[in-house]
Amino acid sequence: MSAKVDERLNRLLLMVPFLARPQGASVKELCEKFDIDKAVLMQDLATLQMCGVPDYTPADLMDYWIEGGRVHVTMADYFSRPLNLTRQEALSLFVAGRALIRSGVFREQGPLDSALGKIETLLSEESKDRLEEIIDRVEVEMRAYEGTMRGIIDEGLEQGKNLELEYWSYSRDEVTHREVEPLSLICSQGFWYLLGWCHSSEDMRLFRLDRIASIELTDHPVTKKMRESFDLPSVVGEYSPGRKAHQVRLSFAGQQGRRVIEEWPVAQMTENADGTVLVELRTRNLAWLATYLLRFGDAVSILGPKELKKMVEEKARKLLEAYS
Amino acid sequence: MDKIERLINLTACLLETRKPVPFEQLKETVYRGLSVSENALKRMFERDKDELREMGIDVEAVTTEWGDETGYLIPRDKYYLPHIDLEPDERVALTMVSRLFLSSGTPFSVPAQLALLKLAFEQTAADEVPHVHWVESPRDSELLGDVLDSLMRRKFVTFSYRALGADEPVQREVEPYGLFNKGGAWYFVGMCHLRNDIRCFKLERVSSSIEVNPRNPKTPDFEVPAGFELHNEIDWERPARTRAGIKSRVLFSPRLSFAAATGTSTVVSEKREKDGSLEATFEVLDAGGFVDWVLGFGTDAVIKAPASLKALARARLEGVLAGLEGK
Repeated sequence: MSAKVDERLNRLLLMVPFLARPQGASVKELCEKFDIDKAVLMQDLATLQMCGVPDYTPADLMDYWIEGGRVHVTMADYFSRPLNLTRQEALSLFVAGRALIRSGVFREQGPLDSALGKIETLLSEESKDRLEEIIDRVEVEMRAYEGTMRGIIDEGLEQGKNLELEYWSYSRDEVTHREVEPLSLICSQGFWYLLGWCHSSEDMRLFRLDRIASIELTDHPVTKKMRESFDLPSVVGEYSPGRKAHQVRLSFAGQQGRRVIEEWPVAQMTENADGTVLVELRTRNLAWLATYLLRFGDAVSILGPKELKKMVEEKARKLLEAYS
Repeated sequence: MDKIERLINLTACLLETRKPVPFEQLKETVYRGLSVSENALKRMFERDKDELREMGIDVEAVTTEWGDETGYLIPRDKYYLPHIDLEPDERVALTMVSRLFLSSGTPFSVPAQLALLKLAFEQTAADEVPHVHWVESPRDSELLGDVLDSLMRRKFVTFSYRALGADEPVQREVEPYGLFNKGGAWYFVGMCHLRNDIRCFKLERVSSSIEVNPRNPKTPDFEVPAGFELHNEIDWERPARTRAGIKSRVLFSPRLSFAAATGTSTVVSEKREKDGSLEATFEVLDAGGFVDWVLGFGTDAVIKAPASLKALARARLEGVLAGLEGK
């Protein structure tokens, strides 16, 4: 079945029970719940109006009306309760839930564990067996998010209090103090980040949890109150280095260069006939790159800028001294 | 009448009825007005049943009272979501799971959200949910959907794959046994017909779409071997699973001493020096990865022992310098 029909059928079968309740459902609520716009909702309602039970006289078809912004439907008693969880839905909850428990976001034998336990009782023996089989074959390894840092961030988010961070900025290789209004926790590319409004830089910033040297809860209530309004895609979206950025050119022995590109999707890659890979990227800071390149040994050569060459050389020499 | 209307009507009809409905009757109701042959109609009905079953709606065939005819119905106790009592903290936990996966752009995001809508059907007030998001690159999501589909139905997939060391992409045919996300990247693992061995495939290195074998969609193409353990494949970088790791001592500068606890290697012991620096001892399973990690702290972390890891770090640094002079 094409994904579209599948998705739409599932949505419609779930939407009717909401509409069949005495209070119906508001247009806004429906659009939010089902992540659709009003035009799609109206199409869905028009479709429902064509459906019903034999003999399909007007009295047998579902009928909807909108009153005061709320949608109601009649003649849909047989759809008054939602369809049981589909295998996909149960699978998604279990795969996701188990990954979160293992990564420490949720305690073992905590509320998520018990919720999943209750949901399991909803499933038929057959779906339970099939689910078990699939769950064992899908795995999400999230880096652990736990410990005291977690407790403090959670408290800041829950109580609406600012956090004071000592943070190692990797790009500039500096450890700085900042007061941050916590907005959200984000897991991306295997790492956890705190998204917050940074009062020192007067801007939204992402703080990777494993680069937070220390964290404390302040008694300063949040003032920006952006929790409901920030736009996630724009925050974590494409990195734009700006006009002052350095243009960096690196040459790698093939395999390594392609590995680098997998780690930085923003970089450009050109493959040369001799098997080497030219990687070009723009970055505002060179400090992080100079450190990052150390691990590549003789697999990397720096074509420019000179400043980067000098930084790498200095770092490598200094470290070699420490190793001698 | 379009297909979605027909499927809704079929569901409504078989759910509302108390007596099994024979196909003869469906022909006159749900399938009325379709100008196709009797056989085509029958096939259409079979396909519709399959599609509903895929969604979790079971159409049961029952022999009617007189035993001379087959009728169909959807058992209500199987269709409807049973009543479920979730405590507020359980609801918050589930909402958090679905929120996390909503932003993930994976094939889990939409189903997890719908599951939650169903489970929250009887609930009137909304719970306050902490803000948590999971962000993945969108290209993965389409491919992931296909891999997941093939995994669930046990169908082989064909795609073009460029291994890290390969010059050109090569066409592959694989029986997917498992799917996992490690360090933010998705991989699937399965029997590769080209190599005749179990191989791991990074989704990013797939250079085409993934085609799920369209033949005999209802019949699985393969069985997953009984001894297959996904965890063994995920831990591929462990050189030998039975061998214990090596102990390594690293000195961290005062300013980055916190970082000792942030790696993937276990800290066995640590000693704080008077100047604030920290000497941590790790249990290391993947030597190369560990040295990369330590070098990532630049001059703020230095391996003190064992000699083998020190030599590895030194070789990398000397290599970098040689590369600088070479050009």
